[in-house]
Amino acid sequence: MSNPSKTTEVQSFEPRIVAFLCKWCSSAGSDLAGVSRIQYSANATPITIPCSGSVSPMYILSAFNKGADGVLISGCHPGDCHYMEGNYLARRKLYLVKELLQFIGLESERFRMSWVSAAEGAKFAEVVDEFVEDLRVLGPQNRLKAKP
Amino acid sequence: MVNVEEIRDYAASLLEKEEVKAVLGFRRGSASAFAEPCTITEVGEAASLVWDPTCLNNLALYLVKDRKQQAVAKTPDNRPVGIVAKGCDSRAVGVLLQENFFKREDVVVIGVSCEGTGVVDSNKLSDKLKGKTASRITFSGADDINVSVYGDETETVIPAQEILADRCLECRAATPTLHDVVFGDTVEARDFNEPFHAAKEAESASEDERWATWEHHFDRCLRCFACRAVCPMCYCHECVVDSTTFVVTLGTSAEEKANRIRWCERSANTSESAVYHLTRAIHLAGRCIDCGECERVCPVNIPLRLLNTKLEKEAFEMFEYQAGHDIEQASLLSSFRDEDPNSFIR
Amino acid sequence: MEKILNQEKLREWVDMLDDCEVYAPAFADSVWNYARIEAGTDIDLSHTNTIGSVKEFVFPQREVFFRFEKKDGVPVLTSTLPDPKPTVVFGVRPCDGRGMPRNDTVFNKEFEDPYYWARRNKLTLVGLACNQPHSPNCFCQSVGGSPHSEDGLDILMTDLGDRFHVKGITVKGVEAMERGRDAFDAVRDGDQTEVEKVHDTSRSFPQRPLDNLDAIPKAIRESFDSPLWADMAQHCIGCGICTFLCPTCHCFDINDEVISPTTGEGERVRTWDNCQFPDFTMHTSGHNPRADLGSRLRQRVSHKFLYFVENHNTQQCTGCGRCITECPVGIDIVAVLERVSQ
Ligand code: SF4
Ligand code: SF4
Ligand code: SF4
Ligand code: SF4
Ligand code: SF4
Repeated sequence: MSNPSKTTEVQSFEPRIVAFLCKWCSSAGSDLAGVSRIQYSANATPITIPCSGSVSPMYILSAFNKGADGVLISGCHPGDCHYMEGNYLARRKLYLVKELLQFIGLESERFRMSWVSAAEGAKFAEVVDEFVEDLRVLGPQNRLKAKP
Repeated sequence: MVNVEEIRDYAASLLEKEEVKAVLGFRRGSASAFAEPCTITEVGEAASLVWDPTCLNNLALYLVKDRKQQAVAKTPDNRPVGIVAKGCDSRAVGVLLQENFFKREDVVVIGVSCEGTGVVDSNKLSDKLKGKTASRITFSGADDINVSVYGDETETVIPAQEILADRCLECRAATPTLHDVVFGDTVEARDFNEPFHAAKEAESASEDERWATWEHHFDRCLRCFACRAVCPMCYCHECVVDSTTFVVTLGTSAEEKANRIRWCERSANTSESAVYHLTRAIHLAGRCIDCGECERVCPVNIPLRLLNTKLEKEAFEMFEYQAGHDIEQASLLSSFRDEDPNSFIR
Repeated sequence: MEKILNQEKLREWVDMLDDCEVYAPAFADSVWNYARIEAGTDIDLSHTNTIGSVKEFVFPQREVFFRFEKKDGVPVLTSTLPDPKPTVVFGVRPCDGRGMPRNDTVFNKEFEDPYYWARRNKLTLVGLACNQPHSPNCFCQSVGGSPHSEDGLDILMTDLGDRFHVKGITVKGVEAMERGRDAFDAVRDGDQTEVEKVHDTSRSFPQRPLDNLDAIPKAIRESFDSPLWADMAQHCIGCGICTFLCPTCHCFDINDEVISPTTGEGERVRTWDNCQFPDFTMHTSGHNPRADLGSRLRQRVSHKFLYFVENHNTQQCTGCGRCITECPVGIDIVAVLERVSQ
């Protein structure tokens, strides 16, 4: 841990997060974080999706395949889904994805899910900051990344 | 003991009474000591049916194939089909019914109980023989399996438990619950392994060890797609990893070709094979009935069943869901409960 | 060149090939397959046949043709012609050896494939005669080979119990033997007769027969429209096992794998393809001339026992039996040929 070269590496490494954000809540939440001028890490590339329930596991696998260091899925709190039940379906499906990724030995911190409403700009910033910190410790994601 | 004569008679009578157009069953083949699938359409052919622990295949695959063929046939023949089914195979029929692939009256399930055993695992057998070929596999009661090795005069007696497939050792329903008739005794207590034993063992390794294992296996995959081709639940007309839907016209530009979505490249390397296998595992969540076919057919013996049973274990423990048990129930991923796990979400 | 190598000297010889990459069969994951060996002590020649064939050394499942990228709007290509280290493969069964000249024909006759030959020219195949067929599905003799065929091999080893008889067949083979000079002994009186005896015995074991090999092409041609094919392929699942494992199947697909659409970076890649896959003959229009499994089985068998014979005067099958043993549903090319010939 006290290895100096390792420390520098950790500091210079900027994790790249692919964030799939529901347009009815988390995407608006991230906008709110922006307009409220909350300072938070710029490491997440947001992709707006119609509903967390619309996330295909292939999006997640593909993001890791293309070199994402972490993948975040964020949707509306239980009970708040614009389509009534999309987030409940997402929760079940993504729970299985998480279990599967852990099972094959992808570092468990790399895949994350959050409930962030349109009013929770601060929470969104916090989720992303926390994720970035955890990923910094892990270093680049090499396990599922396509290697040329 | 299952009396194979009874299966033959039953199959013959189904054909005789024209209740089915064909019966899917097992016969001895020329390629190996294991039985091979057959489709019999004549009463006289019923005599060739066999039943023993070398009947590995899940014949429900051929119900799927038949439906697909009839769907494009000029004069479809939609008469019912009979199928010889073990416990796991009958659950495959169950999932197909649940998913409305065909109707209950389209199939006559000739259930056969595995009683106190199951089927032989060809990989475990290969380990015992260090790659040599078995020329004959016979059974002396439930406990021992006699194996003659090709090119060797001697016969080896192997305790059944050492070469039964893991799924048989972990089986919770060795007698088909979904059936029109069932042969053999229902054996409730089978004193082998607890359910999901192998998956639990794999889970207990460290993260780095788990990745080392799967990296090794993903790297070895040939992408022959036998695992997909053999699975009765992999019935999609077109698999996402094949991406043949991209229509190239005269006007398609190089950019469009370059930017087309390809979820998975054709190259059989670690990252692409990981995409393939993980996608497949998820697409089978709540649908895999643990017939073990994917793992059996893999020419390089990738322990694919672990991926599927890991998810079935979660389905069972977290969502109280068992694939192929209740044909009326909503499928795993199209349903939810308020008490589904939520604490993993921030 | 013919020499004698004591069993325990095999390791020494392998160690003397230290500037080469050495591969030998290894039993792992319940199957024999070629694996890189680091030291002579790792070598184990008690193998049956390997699951993968030696074609993988010259025609790998993935071959990068070139890299591309866009620099200042201009496409730039970088060559990726392989330049492998000299590679020696031990324990090659004669049926796999015989596959090699067939592959050479394909990758040389009309067009010399530089990727194939870059690997092929660096490859030395050390065969091991089968003292006895390993599997009831071996039929090398029925297609003109034998358990001690030298065809395609650089060296043929014959196991004489406590020692091997080692025969250098090609220049490359003799060179590899010269490198291990001190490990070898001279052939003594009687060794030759013993080798012949072992070879004779190996041929005496019954194999799956193919009666009247010469009549097969005609029989296949005449049965082109026969319903037999659909019947025989009834349980085929259309996987890639029979062809991917075959030492002579060589169909491939070429794709551009784009790493970054922004920079236009990527690779042009050749990967194995296979006539049993549904998309193998799929046209852009969606029409598939070989839509059913019967026509695909017919294609596989015709390629090996009709078209190849017409074009190159020999079968494109060496009787290794892999496609029979490994087929998940028992489709058996010998039985297929028997039925077609009837
Ligand atoms: S059967 Fe085995 S080798 Fe073939 S694609 Fe499946 S896992 Fe890969
Ligand atoms: S995934 Fe494998 S074990 Fe599960 S149903 Fe399909 S073939 Fe059977
Ligand atoms: S087919 Fe012939 S050469 Fe090949 S492994 Fe069998 S006996 Fe040996
Ligand atoms: S066709 Fe079958 S038996 Fe002949 S060489 Fe190929 S795999 Fe071996
Ligand atoms: S013949 Fe056998 S190995 Fe070949 S595609 Fe058909 S099922 Fe697969």
